[in-house]
Amino acid sequence: MSAPAPTPVQAARAAARRDRWRSPTLSLRLAVVLAWALLPAVGPSFQLLDLALKIALFATLAASYDVVIGYTGIVSFGHAMFFGFGAYAVALAVGRLGAPTYGHLLQGFLAGIVVSGVVAVVVGAFSLRVKAIFFAMITLAFAEFALILAVQWGALTGGEDGLSPKLPGVFAAGAPGVFGLSGRLVTYYTLLAVCLGLFLVMSRFVHSPLGRTLQAIRDNELRAEALGYRTFVFQLVATSFGSVVATVLGGGYAMWVRYVNPESTLGIPIMLDVLLMVIIGGIGTLHGGLVGAAILLSARTLLPNLRGLSGSLFAGSEILQRLSERWLLYFGILFVLVVFFFPRGVLGTLREALARRRGPTASGRT
Amino acid sequence: MRRATPLLVGAALLLLLPLAAIEPRAWLTLTVAGLAMGMLIFLVAAGLTLIFGLMDVLNFAHGALFSWGAYAGFTVAVAVDGRWGWAASPSVWANAGLLLLAVAAAVAVAFALGVVLERVIVRPVYGQHLFQILITLGATIVLEELIRVAWGPNDQVMPVPATFQGSWDVADVVVLRFPAIAIGLGLLVYGGMQWLLTRTRVGLIVRAGVENNEMVQVMGHDIHRYFTGVFAAGSGLAGLGGLMWGMFSQSVRPSMGGEQLIFAFIVVIIGGLGSVTGSLVGALLVGLAYNYVAFLVPKAAIGVTMGIMVLVLLARPTGLYGAGK
Repeated sequence: MSAPAPTPVQAARAAARRDRWRSPTLSLRLAVVLAWALLPAVGPSFQLLDLALKIALFATLAASYDVVIGYTGIVSFGHAMFFGFGAYAVALAVGRLGAPTYGHLLQGFLAGIVVSGVVAVVVGAFSLRVKAIFFAMITLAFAEFALILAVQWGALTGGEDGLSPKLPGVFAAGAPGVFGLSGRLVTYYTLLAVCLGLFLVMSRFVHSPLGRTLQAIRDNELRAEALGYRTFVFQLVATSFGSVVATVLGGGYAMWVRYVNPESTLGIPIMLDVLLMVIIGGIGTLHGGLVGAAILLSARTLLPNLRGLSGSLFAGSEILQRLSERWLLYFGILFVLVVFFFPRGVLGTLREALARRRGPTASGRT
Repeated sequence: MRRATPLLVGAALLLLLPLAAIEPRAWLTLTVAGLAMGMLIFLVAAGLTLIFGLMDVLNFAHGALFSWGAYAGFTVAVAVDGRWGWAASPSVWANAGLLLLAVAAAVAVAFALGVVLERVIVRPVYGQHLFQILITLGATIVLEELIRVAWGPNDQVMPVPATFQGSWDVADVVVLRFPAIAIGLGLLVYGGMQWLLTRTRVGLIVRAGVENNEMVQVMGHDIHRYFTGVFAAGSGLAGLGGLMWGMFSQSVRPSMGGEQLIFAFIVVIIGGLGSVTGSLVGALLVGLAYNYVAFLVPKAAIGVTMGIMVLVLLARPTGLYGAGK
């Protein structure tokens, strides 16, 4: 008895499964992971180590945002809010429940995930029912509200001053540590592992049948609905998933920086940063966030050094001096240009170019 | 009509309920302040909803246009005041002249910026919401940073004409003057917009163009020119709102637009996307509720606008007057 011929859908799935381990960039990805893992062995300055881990954290955050904006096609301005929820939940649990223990750390993460999950579902239920575009405005309003809440509710959140949690056990700053690693490095490797794990989970998520349905909804919502998919539920699942990932990363950020305040975790500026990372890296590529985060964060760390230089160069003219100080201005211009001329970002454009080179048959990977 | 009754009851409740907690005179002052704030928000929200409702463009650069209007008006007001001293002068005519010149400058600058924005960055992305949001967000960053370059990053004091400061005493009730002017202006704008959209040929063509873009073009109208006009008119309203807000708070600062944009978004969501009347009702609702609650429980003020939004969306997912397209 011969097996029935596979349906086109089954064939496509089988092909995707086959290609998963043959991806041309697999070695590149492994190299990136290896570079991050070996960086502390080189013994760099703390500034460089800090930059490296922040790039890892924000790259994963940008990827989780990409799941929402790039793969589902929903613009959210509340992503930084969920990031902030995680940061505050961890900082509060570790700092306010008595002496820091592993249990409190875990409770912090769990509480953050629960709060974010509930808020994400509620916000989504309000806004996605009508029109995905509502989501942008309502999340913006909610994010602003969360920011004001964090500033005003000083008794709990420490207001503008924020919180400086102390970490338990092996994560503590002065801990003797395991395997001869200091507390800092233990935190570094733990968070690196968390980022890597989340990346794999998200990669699985967007390449699963669920992820494909999301892309179908993004590309043609009416048609997906006509095919029998309840688009509202799918969009809700996607935004909630992205939000929960952002929450975990927020907790990780609080663990690394050991300082949480409204401006650095909840604010609109963080939201804009993440958005810029996704757009520059390439929307709908998942790994583009890494490129975007690396470019943006490196620029931010290095540019203050340039500022001193420009100050001495344009000492004569106030306007020129101001022009050179407002680096966000150039970023805005760059952003508009990127959106116009490279709407697929660095990684998307590269992939397109590669696909064109390999010929028309090999295209189709997104 | 059927829908108007519960709305009127709701409005009456909203107006009278706070009386239980606030003494009448303070209540009247708060009501006037709330109406004025509502009208100022309406100016911003109306432009936003005009652009969104008619052209289906989500314009996040609206807040930046608001700031630009405020700064343009500020510059003219300072220049006029410095030259002729019209702000401090007791003459009503000099004061009114200053206000009119500032308004003209604010509207003109925001209108011109609106034309440029529509032509250069919005036109290529019609029909693509994601790119509209991204590109207008980029424009916001650039415009706001340009303000910081041109005028410096700090707050500045807006000269307010002497006649419009202080208050009138109407039957022992303190009526602040500038809010009263703002209310009048808001009503004027609302009436003007309704008249233009529903009673004139231009409004007819614009509305028809929204319904069926190609058909209107076949009829021989250059719909893109009308759309540029609508976008610029909405931008002009944002500039007007910015100037009035600057005079109301007696100061201007580069980030003022972004802060008001949140309010405007909430108002547009409450009122229903694309409905001018909805924007007016939503704005007044938010303005009044904000002032009452800020008087009673200062810290809950921002929460109450969110609360209203959530309640309205629970009852009517498309907003009070939303068509739900």
